[in-house]
Formats: sequence, C-alpha cells, structure tokens
Amino acid sequence: MAVTLDQSSASAVVEARRAHNEKLARKADQTRATWFPLAVMAILIALPLLQFTGNYNYLLHMVLFTASHVAMASGWNILGGFAGYISLGHSVFFAIGGYFSGMILARYGISTIVTAPLAGLLAAVVGYLIGMVTLKVRGPSFIISSIALLMIARILFDNWELIGGANGVTLPVNDLPVQWAKIPYYYAMLAIAAFTVWASYKIKHSKFGLGLRAISKDEIKAESAGIDTRFYKVMAFALSAFFVGMAGAVWGEYLTYLRPNIFLVILVSANLVLMSILGGKGTVAGPVIGAILIVALNELFVATMGASEINILGTGMVMAAGLMFFPLGLVGTLARKGKLPRVLNWD
Amino acid sequence: MADILQILILGLALGGVIALMGSGLSLVFGVMRIVNLAHPSLIIGGAYVTYWAFKMTGVDPIVMLPVASLIMAAIGVLLYRLMFERETKSAKYSEMTVLLTFALAMMVEGLLGGLFTNTQRVVSPDYATDAFFIGDLFIPKGQLYAGIVSLVIITALSLFLKYSRLGYAIRATTQNREAAELLGVNVNFICILAFAIGIGLAGAAGSLVSFVFSFFPAKHWEWIAMLMSVVVLGGMGSILGTVVAALLLSVIAAFVGTWIGATWSTLTFFLALFLILLVRPQGLFGEKPEMA
Amino acid sequence: MTELLQVTNITAGYGDGPAILDGAHLTVEPGKVHCIIGPNGAGKSTLMKAICGMLTIRKGDVVFKGKRLNGMRPDQILREGICFVPQERALFPKMTVRENLRMGGFILDDKKELERRIEGILERFPILRERADQHAGTMSGGQQQTLAMARTLIIKPAIVMLDEPSLGLAPKIVQEMFDIMKMMSAEGVTVLLVEQNALMGLKNSDWGVVLDLGRTLFEGPAATVLADPRIQELYLGGKKAA
Ligand SMILES: Nc1ncnc2c1ncn2[C@@H]1O[C@H](COP(=O)(O)OP(=O)(O)OP(=O)(O)O)[C@@H](O)[C@H]1O
Ligand SMILES: [Mg+2]
Repeated sequence: MAVTLDQSSASAVVEARRAHNEKLARKADQTRATWFPLAVMAILIALPLLQFTGNYNYLLHMVLFTASHVAMASGWNILGGFAGYISLGHSVFFAIGGYFSGMILARYGISTIVTAPLAGLLAAVVGYLIGMVTLKVRGPSFIISSIALLMIARILFDNWELIGGANGVTLPVNDLPVQWAKIPYYYAMLAIAAFTVWASYKIKHSKFGLGLRAISKDEIKAESAGIDTRFYKVMAFALSAFFVGMAGAVWGEYLTYLRPNIFLVILVSANLVLMSILGGKGTVAGPVIGAILIVALNELFVATMGASEINILGTGMVMAAGLMFFPLGLVGTLARKGKLPRVLNWD
Repeated sequence: MADILQILILGLALGGVIALMGSGLSLVFGVMRIVNLAHPSLIIGGAYVTYWAFKMTGVDPIVMLPVASLIMAAIGVLLYRLMFERETKSAKYSEMTVLLTFALAMMVEGLLGGLFTNTQRVVSPDYATDAFFIGDLFIPKGQLYAGIVSLVIITALSLFLKYSRLGYAIRATTQNREAAELLGVNVNFICILAFAIGIGLAGAAGSLVSFVFSFFPAKHWEWIAMLMSVVVLGGMGSILGTVVAALLLSVIAAFVGTWIGATWSTLTFFLALFLILLVRPQGLFGEKPEMA
Repeated sequence: MTELLQVTNITAGYGDGPAILDGAHLTVEPGKVHCIIGPNGAGKSTLMKAICGMLTIRKGDVVFKGKRLNGMRPDQILREGICFVPQERALFPKMTVRENLRMGGFILDDKKELERRIEGILERFPILRERADQHAGTMSGGQQQTLAMARTLIIKPAIVMLDEPSLGLAPKIVQEMFDIMKMMSAEGVTVLLVEQNALMGLKNSDWGVVLDLGRTLFEGPAATVLADPRIQELYLGGKKAA
C-alpha cells in the first residue's frame, strides 16, 4: 500500500515537472521573434527590384558578400562553436567547393548554382575523412593540425596542373546585361545563407546538437554519458564543411576565376573564426551578426584607408579586442547579462 | 656520395637556423602553455630591424643580432603584459591564447606591410653570397655562419636554463607552475621573463633569417606550420627536442627538395606535423600528451 | 595571546565561483601539531590554499605574527615563513631529487648555505641520497612524499602546512610520514595537517579542527575532539572507542 502510494506521488512530481518544463518551452517559443529574420529575408528578396530604378550593383554585391560569409561562418560554427573544435583550415572546403563546381562550369558549362549542393557534398565527404584523422586531437593541437591541412592543400593546389596550378582557371562569364548579371548569384547565396542558418538552428536544438555541446563542455564526461563522441565530432566536421563548400561553389562563378591565393589563404578561415567569436560562438545568431559586423568593418577600413595591409592590421586588432573584452561575443555577452534584444534571440 | 654529403651539409646548416627560430616558440609553450602563432611574424619583425640597420648604417646582421634581440624582447614584455597576462585565469586559456596570438600575427603582418610594403627583402653582407669550397663540396658562408651562431645561442640558452637560478625557476614553472609558486617563485615574473626571452630569440632568429632567406611581411604563414612541425616533433617545450627535430626535418626536406622537387620540400614539414600530431602528439621527447 | 597564525571568519572561492569557504576560522599555536579533519569536499585544501595566498580572500583576515597576509602572493607568504605542501603534484617530475631540493631553497640567496642544507637533508634521509640523481617523477609514492616533506625543511619555515601526506600510501609508509612530521615538530616547526584518516591524524596531533561545508565547526585540543560523541559519530566513523 505504502509502496504504491510512494510511486504514484513520485510520478505525480515527475508529471508536474514535465508540465512545468513544457510551459517554459512554450513561453520561450512565444518570446522568440520569428518574424524578424523572416522580415529581413523578405526585404532582401525584394532588394534587386531597385535595379529598375538605377544601378545598385554595389549594394547587391555587399549583401551577396555578407550572405556568403553568413553561410560560411554559420557552417564553421557547427564545429567551432557547438562542438568547440576551432579550425583555422576551413578555407580548404571553400576551395574544394569553388574548384569542384568551377571546373564543371569550365568543362561542361553547367552553372555552379546547380552543382553547389554536390560541391557541398564533396566538401562534406572530404571533411568527414579528414575529421576521422584530425579529430583525435583537441585544443591547440587540433588548431595546429588545421593550419597544417591548409598548408598542404595550398601546395597541392598550387602544383596541380589539371586545375591550373598557381595561376588558377578563368571561368566563363554569364551573358546577362550588367544590371542583372549578379542577380542569379545573389539569390543563390541568399538561399544558401538562409538554409545554413535554419540548419544551424535545427542542429542546435536536436539531440545531435545537444551531444555536440556536451562535447564542447567536457568531452570525457560526454563520452562516459554514452555519447558516441567520435561520430558526433566527425559529423559536425562534415556538416560544417558542407555549408562552406556550397558557398565556395557559387563564389567561384561570381568571381569568374579560381585561384589558390584567393581561396586557400588563411585570412578566409580567420574571418570565419573572427565572425563567430565576435558575434557569439555557439549561438545561432552570433555568426550572422559577426559576419555583418566584419564585412561592414572591412569595407570601412578599405574605404577609409585603402591598403589591404591596413585591413589585415584592423582585422587582427578587432579580433584581439573581441577576444580580450568580449570572449563570449556580442550575442553571448548580451544574453549572459539578460539584455539580448528579442529580435536577436534565435537560440 | 659527394652528392649526399653536399645535401646533408646544406640541410644541417639550414636546420641550425630553423632550430633557433623554433626554440623561442618551444620555450614560450613550455613555460606558459601559449602556442604562439605570432612567433614567425615577430621573427620577421626582427629581420626588418636588421634590414634597416644594415641599409642605413651598413652594420653587419650578426653584429646587429643582440640589438634586434633586445628590441624584440622589450616588445615581448609589452605584449605579454597587454595581451596575455590577463588571460591566465581564463577557463579556456590554451584555446584563448592560440586565437590571441593568431590575431597578433595578423596585427604584426599588417603593421609591417603598412610600414615596409610587401616587397621581398634580403640583407646582403659579403658572406651571404660567398662560399667555402672543400674539394667538390661547397658550403655557403651565410648559412654556415647563421647555423653556427644559432647553435651557440641555443647552447647558451640551455646552459642558462640548466644552471642559473632563473633557469631553475623557468624550468620549475614549466613542469609544475603551482609548486613553483609555492616554493617562492614569482611565476608571473617568470612568465614575463620567459616570454621576453622567447620573443628575444625570435629577434635573434630574425637577424640570421634576414640574410639566409628573402622575407616580406606575409611570409610568416609559410613558417608557422614549418616551425610548429619542428616544435611539436621535438615535444613542445623541449629545447633539445626542437634542435634535433629541426636538424632532422631540414635534412629530410633537403633530400626531398633535391630528389623530388623544390616545391615538395616544404611539404615535408607540413606532412610531418600532420603525422606527428596524429601518431605521437607528445613528440619525440615529450613524455605525456600535454596538448592532446 | 600566544597564537602564531590567526584565521578569522574567512570567505574564499575559486575565480569568480561560489564561496567554498564561508566562516572558516583557525588558531595556530607555536610548536604544536594541528590537525584539520572533515569529509571530502569540506574545503580543507581550499583553506590551506587561502592561507598561503593561492586564492583571494574575499572576507575575513589571516594574521601571522601580527602581520596581515591578505592579498599577498604565495612567494611573499613563503618568505614570511609559511610553507605549503599540496595534496598532490608537489614535485617537479622531470627534475632530479637534488634539483627538487634546490628548488626547495629557491628563496635562499646564499648558494653555499643552500648546498650545505641540501647535504644535511640527504644526511637525514638516506633514501633521498640514494636517489639524489634520479628524476623525482620516477620514484614511488612514499619516496615522493618524503621528498616533498623533507624539502620544506631546507628553508626552516615557521609553519608547514601538509595536505593529506598519507594519501594513497600503504599503512606502513603512512606511519613513516607521521614520523617525519613528528621530527619536524620536534625541531620547532609548527605543523598544520589535513588528514583523511581523522582518527590517526588526531592521535598524532595536539590540536584538532573540524571543518565542514566551508565552516569551522569545532576547534580544541585533539583529545577533546576525539572524545566528543557528536564528532565521533559524524566524522570519526561511529563510536569506535579510541
Ligand atoms: N580548482 C578548483 N576550482 C573550482 N572549485 C574547486 C577547485 N578545487 C576544489 N573546488 C571545490 O571546492 C570544494 C572544496 O574542495 P577542497 O579540495 O577544499 O575539499 P577537501 O576538503 O580538501 O576535500 P578532500 O578531502 O577530497 O581533499 C569542492 O566542492 C570542490 O568542488
Ligand atoms: Mg583536499
């Protein structure tokens, strides 16, 4: 008698707890401002209409450029932010995507927009294979291994005659009038960016994402809690490579040429790290905010001071200051203080 | 046979310089657990100091070495106090400092690029283009002198670490920071000192590099993976390990360069780094995988 | 007042973390052996770290020979005469026994005097002389603990704080550690000991301190602590008569 009583009261407590948790979750859902990203998307989709009224190519270029970085930084964030494995070698996947789709375009005339998902897939497969090897080490060792990876890839690409070696390949230019030439890439990149952010949200809120966060907190504990950490990490690596590869594919055609010293430079990787950290590593909105900030800042540096050296100096300084004073990034710091505006709470 | 000997000599001379380039990196990691990705960019800083001194006054790079080294050491003190001292209590210290040094590398590169442009430079004292001939063998004087000076500096460093009181304190801090502190070592001071020595070694290496390689601000990216492979293979923190690894790898690279092709000789270092991290992350001389 | 060290109501914790110690106090009298007991996680090690300057003291005072130690660095506190041997990792594993001893006298400026004192230690601990040139990391647990304790004698501190010197050692070796401790005490060093085996610790001490949940619950002569029925029940594993 006493036993059943105890059991029923225990299950009542559990039931009450569950109801309470669900209420909290619903409340969180209600406070999430889903309308905001949707509204931004709507505006961006309508933006090319401006071309009817004049030449807004620069504006479109900026949005496209930002979108590409939103996609790449959000992709990087899956491995670097969620799982806590900082990679400085993600330019490799940018290059793989760019070269794969670019070479198909050069040979068979198929637009990179069509082949971008395939390029992403190839990057993911390569990422998976590399991850199987390099994810055995963590912390600084992993960071160093990612730099080594980039260096090796650079030498290989520089010396691979089939893909033009160090001189690279020139890609055919589309035959649209100047006013509309950017539009296909604009929409493609916007779609990729939106898809990446959506996927990043989905991943973060899945069981998989929870596992990644556990790994980032304490890998040994995560493993003893029964998480297949090896598989989780490698999958995170593959996924993050996928999004970077897709962005690379479209970027190549937009740029109209492929060259190792554009795709395989550490500055590309550094920017992804910078964007994620400055915006808020491990959050969904962080890399997006970071990408917008850094692109704007780059433009400012270039516009006011011109030289690319100043750009490098500026990037370094912003990165150092961000790390030292806002290690949690903009979104992370505001969230910790409970001051994150509702429109930016995407987590 | 003479061929092989020739390659060996060139590889060893170059290895000596690379050993000096890596030793500061190794020291800084050993004592402070900072993986200093900015180390090569600071070497280039030292090279520019030497370059301008040579250009303006004609002072020999090897004579300039102590000065360049002191200037860089002072910069090291400044950098440590401004950027790294405050991170010692950070929860993600090692990750944080890698990223900070990465940012620092970009700052140094940008600054040097802004000041001196990206033109390739090289200091050319007479001996830089001269060589000794022994039978069929030739030994470039520049590389030989640089290699010898490197090994002298590294020997002095090892003796300092082994026998001086400060050397004891540095080694103790490397092995067990907490215990060193409890025995009366002011570990923060030791960290500043070790960082200063590390960056001072970068300055010294810069003076030698200035007439052995041509350099420009962005060159450091090529060196970071090379030096990392040397330091990781040597077991991060071990100076002796760094020297052995530097000599070993540059000899291998010299053979690869001659027999397979010059472009592939740098690949030796990167591949080695990759393999070591995966097979034996503690390196040749390390005893436990401290960074894995 | 004859106390050597007076700790009054201190609050301390790690970094910005929660307060681990809150209301800990302690009186150390010269020449005696003091034993702190308490369950795992009570804050015993934390108290020692707070005294020796490894943690910032948020509230309360640590006064040694009439001088306030709050805010001083560990190396400065050592120079005042308080020496701490932590629970684990007290040695430099890749230094030889002799080099470890030399580090023990790091604050001594006179090199000759240092070598003389090292010689004296090696004289008294034959096991250390035998292994003088062996790396400390390759010795057995008991030998390492002997070295860690012997090393404190080089600077002849006023107080030695020992955090669980018997941890992980076989019973016979444990007795050796207590013998070394008594020898230190006989030489006039005041000992502050943390001991997991409360019964054994208290029996070898003059003064007992019970610490739990970061607070001092009881302070008094070791015999009184041993005899107190409540303490016996809670911390000494039941009514096992002494
Ligand atoms: N480095 C640290 N950082 C944060 N918290 C710590 C740290 N070391 C100990 N703690 C916490 O402080 C509390 C007290 O730990 P402490 O080591 O002082 O206990 P103790 O009484 O010495 O226990 P034991 O008998 O197990 O040695 C514990 O809750 C522990 O989790
Ligand atoms: Mg303890």
